Amino acid sequence: MNTLNSDRREKTRSRWYRQFRSETSPDLIPLYGNQELSWMEIETEHFITMCEAEMPCVFPDEKIIYTRTTPEPETLYESEAYKRFFAGRTRHELGPINNITPDWLQILKQGLSGQRTAAVKAHDQFSENPGKKAFLSGVIKTIDAALDLASRYSGEAFHIGNMQAGEMLKRVPANPADSFHEALQFIRFTHSLILLAGHYQIGFGRMDQYLLPYYLSDLASGALKPEDAYELIVEFLISLNRDSDLYPGVQPGDNGQTLMLGGLLPDGSDGENELTHLFLKAAEEVRLIDPKINVRIHADTSQELLEAAVRLNRQGFGFPQYSNDDVVIPALTAHGYSREDAYDYSVAACWEFIIPGKGMEVVNIGAVSFPYAADSAVRHVLEHGGTFADILERAERSIEEQVDALVKTYSKLALPPAPFLSIFMEGCIGNGTDLSEGLTYNNYGIHGAGSSNAADALSAVKHFIYDTQEFEASELLDALETDFRENEPLRLKLMNHAGKVGLNDETADGLLFHLFSAFSHNCEKVKNNGRGGLIRPGTGSAMYYIWLAQGEDQMREPVVKTTAEGRHAGQPLGANLSPSPGVRPYGPFSVFNSFAKLDYSALCNGGPITLELSSSVFRGTDAIKKAADLIRLFVQTGNQQLQMNCVSPETLLEAREFPEKYPDLVVRVWGWSGYFCELSPEYQEQIIQRHIFAL
Amino acid sequence: MQNKIMSTGILFDIKEFAVHDGPGIRTTFFLKGCPLRCTWCHNPEGQKQEIETLHTPMGDRAAGKIYTSEELAVYINSQADRLNSVGGGITFSGGEPLMQADFVLDILGQLSPIHIVLDTCGYADEETFVEVIKRISLVYYDLKCMDPETHRKYTGKDNSLILGNYAAMARMGIPHVVRIPLIPGITDTDANLEAAAAFIASQPNRPLRIDLLPLNPLAGAKYDMLFREYTPGFDPDQKPNINKRFFENHGLEVEIQ
Repeated sequence: MNTLNSDRREKTRSRWYRQFRSETSPDLIPLYGNQELSWMEIETEHFITMCEAEMPCVFPDEKIIYTRTTPEPETLYESEAYKRFFAGRTRHELGPINNITPDWLQILKQGLSGQRTAAVKAHDQFSENPGKKAFLSGVIKTIDAALDLASRYSGEAFHIGNMQAGEMLKRVPANPADSFHEALQFIRFTHSLILLAGHYQIGFGRMDQYLLPYYLSDLASGALKPEDAYELIVEFLISLNRDSDLYPGVQPGDNGQTLMLGGLLPDGSDGENELTHLFLKAAEEVRLIDPKINVRIHADTSQELLEAAVRLNRQGFGFPQYSNDDVVIPALTAHGYSREDAYDYSVAACWEFIIPGKGMEVVNIGAVSFPYAADSAVRHVLEHGGTFADILERAERSIEEQVDALVKTYSKLALPPAPFLSIFMEGCIGNGTDLSEGLTYNNYGIHGAGSSNAADALSAVKHFIYDTQEFEASELLDALETDFRENEPLRLKLMNHAGKVGLNDETADGLLFHLFSAFSHNCEKVKNNGRGGLIRPGTGSAMYYIWLAQGEDQMREPVVKTTAEGRHAGQPLGANLSPSPGVRPYGPFSVFNSFAKLDYSALCNGGPITLELSSSVFRGTDAIKKAADLIRLFVQTGNQQLQMNCVSPETLLEAREFPEKYPDLVVRVWGWSGYFCELSPEYQEQIIQRHIFAL
Repeated sequence: MQNKIMSTGILFDIKEFAVHDGPGIRTTFFLKGCPLRCTWCHNPEGQKQEIETLHTPMGDRAAGKIYTSEELAVYINSQADRLNSVGGGITFSGGEPLMQADFVLDILGQLSPIHIVLDTCGYADEETFVEVIKRISLVYYDLKCMDPETHRKYTGKDNSLILGNYAAMARMGIPHVVRIPLIPGITDTDANLEAAAAFIASQPNRPLRIDLLPLNPLAGAKYDMLFREYTPGFDPDQKPNINKRFFENHGLEVEIQ
């Protein structure tokens, strides 16, 4: 990157831009308490108020402009004034619509003024329909507020002497983007304004696809050289880290700024292009946690793309995350997605598939606790007598009950009106319907959490209680009740001498398959989730691998205590699709083989295999090719998604403090690999130092 | 050479996605038991052939597990196509895999085609050695001390079998890589490196390359876990003499790993 960008990167890292942020945000609570106004009017005023509070902030050499100057109105969401709209109904997370992806191509082609013209026309057309008129006038007012802020930004740019920015902000986002640079500026500005409206976890979709025409046209006209495009992308990526601390999530950084690269096109050809590579290279050089890069791959993905992608993995930030088109697209078409839309999928904040501009889906309404299902079944049958088949049947029933409870709760979901975000979604203006009323796809997603722990627990019970009858049911029950305090030998047997998921073990993998089949079957039973959509079962765990084990305020899901795979109460479960903590797989090939047995055509909400790799795999000859080979094996085995954590010093430090959370963390010590937590403190320290110095 | 098939063997680890044990991505099998007792050995749990207990800070676990040749062959064959498709394969390491040569041969006899590396110290009777390497795609061959007495002092055995087997391998034209650990004052001396280079260069076929492996100060990490004392007989913190010149002078490819 050039020196201007590297200076920007440093300023972003050192939080230099925070000095321009005011201490407080506008007090919106009186607005939300105003009984005279409709909810639509209140949301409209919310946006206008926030836009008016923003102080334009432009710097002399900037090419991608926007710096947020007001913090989030955090207290709003806990106020009675806000809560009153959800009385008797279900609120999802904070409330505002989140975790979806706009149709960026469409808005770039229309410009906000184009959308305003369309809204005025629709307003006239629906003159007999007060609801539609109210929505459309909300649209018009929010566009005016956005354009007013853009105009103030333009004035500020001229004022401080950044003439290029001043000219550009006069053109976009009012008008359609006319160049690659304008397109990036348009997106940065309007994406920030969507967040200003209170939305969060808003993705960028397939940027290398929809920006390609702008890029190629600029190259053809001579207006842009690839190296200029590269610096613009770098600046754009850095800009996404400037305000991201403001945006809510379960943990800092969980802000849903996802970006998708690569992937098949509806005609079956591969979408990999020059921009795919420019984005990957830029992200590799920028080395900041935003945006989260995703890459779509398939059986014929080029070696060049895989190698470029794993070079980014080498940075140790846990991305890119990979999605396998060969598996994902058929699953989507089997669940009501049109062929063309299925080929256009991106991901929501984590991994859940979403169609830009067409999906008003709530991809994370909650989790089914597989460990709870297994554990409650094990305890009941061991106590009252019964066969292993009885245990499975009870576990299935628990899964059914958990699905039903979530579906029932979310059948009463209330989504706030979203006049500004509706501008970015297909059909809202033309139909005069707010985004909150739904789009083409209105499905819900449920995580299937702690699946490996549950399968391992069932595998251990089957082996020791039923097959070998090595232990009495009462002994196991006692041990579970007392958290193995009196019976460590039993715990070790359960941990170490029964089949486990991740070792390509037929029994354990079969049980995992069985649990997921029950899960998807019970989701499929639901033909209408209350919003005209389906229920999508997934294999992710999100934060539930901690929450289901330790509890969390206001969580709807049941907590599980000591479990029969030898897990102590309170210990975290496996994250997403990964072997249970404490299980030592031979390595990723067996893990791939275990999880490849799942029926991904039914599991259409996503959820990645999560591998912990030592950053040492990236040292030595051909390291990049070897890492790319691993990704290719992931595709060849027919798995759905993959993310890899290449160990960072921070992880190692945390592992040293909480070894029980990282029993599988592998480090390369010299000519051999060892389990980090098994090394003595002095060796751990040395490796930490080495990892720090290796950066 | 026994003709009887030994159907079980003992391993102390299996590691998939090994990236430092040969070309491409591999699955490495660590066979337990070694005829040598190199004082710098970093895998001391690979030395004895019986099952031991590793006392790790995370609790005890067994070092050593018995496998049948059939279950390992089934396991390898289930990965073979995919590993082949990306230019990878499997590696037999240890310990010393030739300590369980019959077991290894028994596995090899059941495998569908796959690239196989043997990582060996070369200490075995020549008949056994030749029988195995005939079926191996690439040999990683360790050379340590060229002087027989020094070799005996630091590994417990003299090097006549090792040098003899090396010559046999070179005569047969089996592709191989030589690996030399750089142990301060023992293997890294100018005299030893020159002697090794001259020996290698005098053979009828040359190695693909020579890897010089600087000793890591952490080599002794696992001794405590076996309740054994790490007594390397040299200063592990001393910087090794890393010098490619001796090999380059003989026109040999050499890399520092």
